Amino acid sequence: MIRYIIRRLLWGVVLLIVLAVLMFILFRVLPTANPALLRAGRDPQPKLVKEIEVVLGLNKSLPVQCWDYLKEIFLHFDFGYSYYSQESVRSLIAERLPETLSLTVGAAVLWIVAGLSVGIVSALRRHSFLDRALMGGALVAISAPEFWLGLVFLFLFASDIGKFKVFPGAGSYVGLTSDPWKWFTSLIMPWIVLASGSAAVFARLMRGSLSETMNEDYIRTARAKGLKERDVVRQGVRAAINPIVTLFGLEVGVLLGGAILVEVVFDIPGIGELFYKAIQTSDFPVTQGTVLLGSMFIILANIVVDVGYAYLDPRVRYS
Amino acid sequence: MRSIRTILAIAVAGSTALALAACGSSSSETTSSTKATSASAISTPGYPSPTTESLGGKRGGTLEVLQESDFEHLDPGITYAALDYPVVFATQRPLYSNKPNSTEPTPDMAAGPPEIAANNKTVTVHIKEGIHFSPPVNREVTSEDVAYAIERGANPDVANPYLKTYFNSLEGVEQADGGPIKGIETPNKHEIVLHLDEPKGQLVADALVLPLTAAVPKEYAEKYDKNKPSNYAAYEVATGPYMLKNDAEGKVLGIGYVPGKSATLVRNPNWNPKTDFRPAYLNEIDIKIGGSEPVIDRQVLEGTNVVQNEPVPQSGVRLAAEHYKSQMDISPGGGNRYVALDNKVGPFANIDLRKAVWAALDRVALNKERGGEVVSTVATHFIYPTINGFEQAGGLKGPTGPQFDYNEHPEGDMAIAEKYIKLAGYPSGKYTGTQTVQVVGASSPPEKEDAEVVNQTLKNLGFNTKLTLVEVSTMYAKYCGVPKEEIDVCPNVGWIADFADPQTVLDVTFAGKSIEPVGNVNYGQVDNPKINKAIAAAEVVQGKEARGKAWAKIDDELVEDAAAVPFDWEKTPRLEGKDVHGVAMLWNEGAWDYSFTSLK
Amino acid sequence: MSTGVAELLPPPSGGGGLEFLDARGDVARSPLQLFWQRFRQDRVALASLAFIVFLIVIALAAPLVVGILGLPGPNVQNLSLTNAFGSPLGPSLAHPFGVDPLGEDVMSRVIYGTRVSLEVGIIGTLISTVIGVTVGTLAGFYRGAIDMVLSRTMDVVLSLPLLLFGLGLAAACSVRGCLKGLIEPGLGTIIVIIAFANWPYVARIVRGLVLSMREREFIEAARALGASDARIMFREILPNLTAPIIVYASLLVPTNILFEAGLSYLGVGIRPPTASWGQMLAAATPIFNTAWWYMVFPGAALLLTVLAFNLLGDGLQDALNPRTAR
Repeated sequence: MIRYIIRRLLWGVVLLIVLAVLMFILFRVLPTANPALLRAGRDPQPKLVKEIEVVLGLNKSLPVQCWDYLKEIFLHFDFGYSYYSQESVRSLIAERLPETLSLTVGAAVLWIVAGLSVGIVSALRRHSFLDRALMGGALVAISAPEFWLGLVFLFLFASDIGKFKVFPGAGSYVGLTSDPWKWFTSLIMPWIVLASGSAAVFARLMRGSLSETMNEDYIRTARAKGLKERDVVRQGVRAAINPIVTLFGLEVGVLLGGAILVEVVFDIPGIGELFYKAIQTSDFPVTQGTVLLGSMFIILANIVVDVGYAYLDPRVRYS
Repeated sequence: MRSIRTILAIAVAGSTALALAACGSSSSETTSSTKATSASAISTPGYPSPTTESLGGKRGGTLEVLQESDFEHLDPGITYAALDYPVVFATQRPLYSNKPNSTEPTPDMAAGPPEIAANNKTVTVHIKEGIHFSPPVNREVTSEDVAYAIERGANPDVANPYLKTYFNSLEGVEQADGGPIKGIETPNKHEIVLHLDEPKGQLVADALVLPLTAAVPKEYAEKYDKNKPSNYAAYEVATGPYMLKNDAEGKVLGIGYVPGKSATLVRNPNWNPKTDFRPAYLNEIDIKIGGSEPVIDRQVLEGTNVVQNEPVPQSGVRLAAEHYKSQMDISPGGGNRYVALDNKVGPFANIDLRKAVWAALDRVALNKERGGEVVSTVATHFIYPTINGFEQAGGLKGPTGPQFDYNEHPEGDMAIAEKYIKLAGYPSGKYTGTQTVQVVGASSPPEKEDAEVVNQTLKNLGFNTKLTLVEVSTMYAKYCGVPKEEIDVCPNVGWIADFADPQTVLDVTFAGKSIEPVGNVNYGQVDNPKINKAIAAAEVVQGKEARGKAWAKIDDELVEDAAAVPFDWEKTPRLEGKDVHGVAMLWNEGAWDYSFTSLK
Repeated sequence: MSTGVAELLPPPSGGGGLEFLDARGDVARSPLQLFWQRFRQDRVALASLAFIVFLIVIALAAPLVVGILGLPGPNVQNLSLTNAFGSPLGPSLAHPFGVDPLGEDVMSRVIYGTRVSLEVGIIGTLISTVIGVTVGTLAGFYRGAIDMVLSRTMDVVLSLPLLLFGLGLAAACSVRGCLKGLIEPGLGTIIVIIAFANWPYVARIVRGLVLSMREREFIEAARALGASDARIMFREILPNLTAPIIVYASLLVPTNILFEAGLSYLGVGIRPPTASWGQMLAAATPIFNTAWWYMVFPGAALLLTVLAFNLLGDGLQDALNPRTAR
């Protein structure tokens, strides 16, 4: 088991390095614009641009630049400085972490709880009206873009402009520490909107997996032996979740992407909004840092999932 | 006026600000002192004009400010944008500054008016005693701090954007790179003398209202100015009634200013009201950055203790006009807006093609995108209402005569446009050249829509266009302000003068001598010998009436040359919460002045 | 974006689409015929297919459709259709979906927007499928070092947060383009991003299928007869994988359409004046409380299109794997 974990971790580190190199190519090599000029701000004097080129090491060869960049990231966890505000990317992101965590963790809880329960209900009531309605709803949720869903929710339910004034609207977010109740109510709509797609995907997967499991021989045997239906279902659910767990890591990436759109629609001042503004102002260090951090998070999530899975199902380790 | 950068264009010639004192005092007086016709042109009946005198509201309280965009620079040596100024002028005191209602410099850190030597080559300023820096510096401000503030402007790591424009006559400034400048002398702690090598004393004296002259403590700031670029802004201290909240070491970044998120202004404990003309009613100003303008508009109009500090988009103007009329201040004379056409290279080097665009453009449509008549007036020339020379240049109607037929149909007239295209040598009445026209506009409303209207107009005339929409600062910094990029059309440029002299509207923007390789504001690279000559002559004209006439004539010539296509004379709306006595900086497109604003 | 990528990967313990292969042999029908026969019985999927064909026709004949409906073109501006404050007017007989702030007809723009969505969805998918099939086949067929390198590359791409990455790439290329102008901002960039982001999903699946396929007797037989590697891959293995590849490709299309809408919504995708649904929704965001039609119709078009592709994909998948059919 420990060897497996070490192997996964090592591979994770390799992945990260490759990704960092990719980011370097993406934001240093590909764009036609000169980074020093972007960093120098408005109306720069040529002299300042020259100086910045030296500070940024642009006069060195590309491989050397890349090496320096990797060293900064992996030895000091330093992603450079924003071209726009000159603050370090690390602290810019850290300042917005609470908002994004509030949004994504809440949505993730909702996604898993709602997704799995809908899937279980549907699988147990296969081909019933309820099943059809739930699966139809899930398909619509998968097909609807988050940002549009967000607008529709605001249009219908926002307390300022909505047709039915139910939940606080866009721009109402407050920090958890300053007012927990407001924090909670302001996030209800964003959570629902962000979680809907992933929940629907998992509901469908769970339904498929559980339906299959319930037809397995050992479940039939258990039933034949006179086990209570509740215990039979519990056993089936446990077995049916296993194959889905591995897809968790992948869906986390989808959720992170959706978080940008949801933050923009609901005016939540999180990392997504930071990223959005950075895109508009060509603030490459910020975009670069955000993408890289997002990737780190996904890689980590995948490792956790894989290790957890290996723990549950020892066969995996040896494959 | 999102994309107009407040360029404090100072009269280059001898006649000056003081001569224009008559235009100052208060907004109602400004309006009434101008001729009757222009008064009706600029005022918007039914809406409050910005109150410009402090109404003596209650002392204390916290004002919340909501703004979508982040600041550009809060360093007094670098700042140059309309959105930054409310914070800069609440925290920093230049030698002279504008009261909110006026464009006449009032001694601020200076003890009295500048003393200009008879040969116009020396400017002496005495500095008040008893002005102290905010913590952690705490000590009294001396003339050496002003000297350092100007010197650091020449440091390439600070790179003040206007030092070389207005202080180029200062002895030794051309060689300066952050160290002492030969022409700046500080005979004692409260006196600073500027020695010039050209007789431009009056120009330099006028320029002392710029935030570059706000004192910076050398022993404290030096270490930050060594960084490339300088990060003094992260530790900046204040001299004004307010300061950006900081910690014991003076660190502002992450405390009083969190980029992209918030800024907090608190009272400066070392500010002595006896040395200042600002009432400073508020205890604290909390600025929230981010969100989106339509949401902010609603929150301000329905909220209390809150103001919005950016130009209001069309949806907000409509909302306020329909339901919250008394909470929308409309500031007259918000500058002009025009479509810049590259006069030098590309198809629009041809004057007839420029006239064709002018004739075809539906200027009423463009203004409708900005919220309609409440906040805009169709422009027919460049000098805008409230500026001396507006009436002489034709007032609302603009210059008249058959040669101006392309200016007579604000809704656009394709027949006249076709006439000019034929004159340009395209007999079909449509442009049939092969060149693709590069159009670069701003990506947020209403500029985005403006750019699309202009783009479509060009297409209707037969041009192949490539439309690029970028964030507004990128539009200026990387495209429209860089002649090398050869952008043919910039539909979203504009200009606002600092005071009512017409030279500040037309000189830097249309004189051939002002074309720069980067940071260019003569967006269309207009370099017409006849106009250049007239500008050179008008710069030295004396007397208000004569100046108005001379610059109005240049305005006529610019229209005749179709140097650019003006479409809007803006009236800038600003929104305030129900219980706020907002006081607006008339000289800064109506942005709120926190040192005068109070709560009811 | 609820791209639902997780669904595109076969659960590790599940069969992953090889079931239908077991059905060959005793019945003298090709797998494709069998597949089609099952698909034909799925009415929902058939209706979706019909709707998609309808969309394709509309997209191809957009100018004609707009003409028949008597609508102005997608870029015809008419500011007289806005009120005194510049707010657009709502649906009317002449403009069934209302107009936008420029007075452009929203219905006309929605119709033209179909072109962008289908172009991105279909071309992007085709490119990523071709790359994915090639890489997957090579990795599965040669195994060993080649497989190792290719599979690890897939892992790298799969661990990227797609939308974040796509936005980053689009943003990096939106100032001056990329590679000295080789990649231009707009449709080209989006298709490149989509192709880059999606091929590993296809490759992984194809690799798995090829791995199990290469051990089969008829492949052994072909090899014994001296067939070249290329021949075995392209003549023997791939034809047998056509059905599953079509299924997975069909599931990628809606994902890609949503991807484009998301990028355009955030301002780095399709640029005005070209009509695209995502970009229309972006423009509608500041004014949707007064101009609901500007948000509702492009959004509904997007939802219906994506839904139709998803239903079609479901139907195809069911036809492929009757055991898990819903």
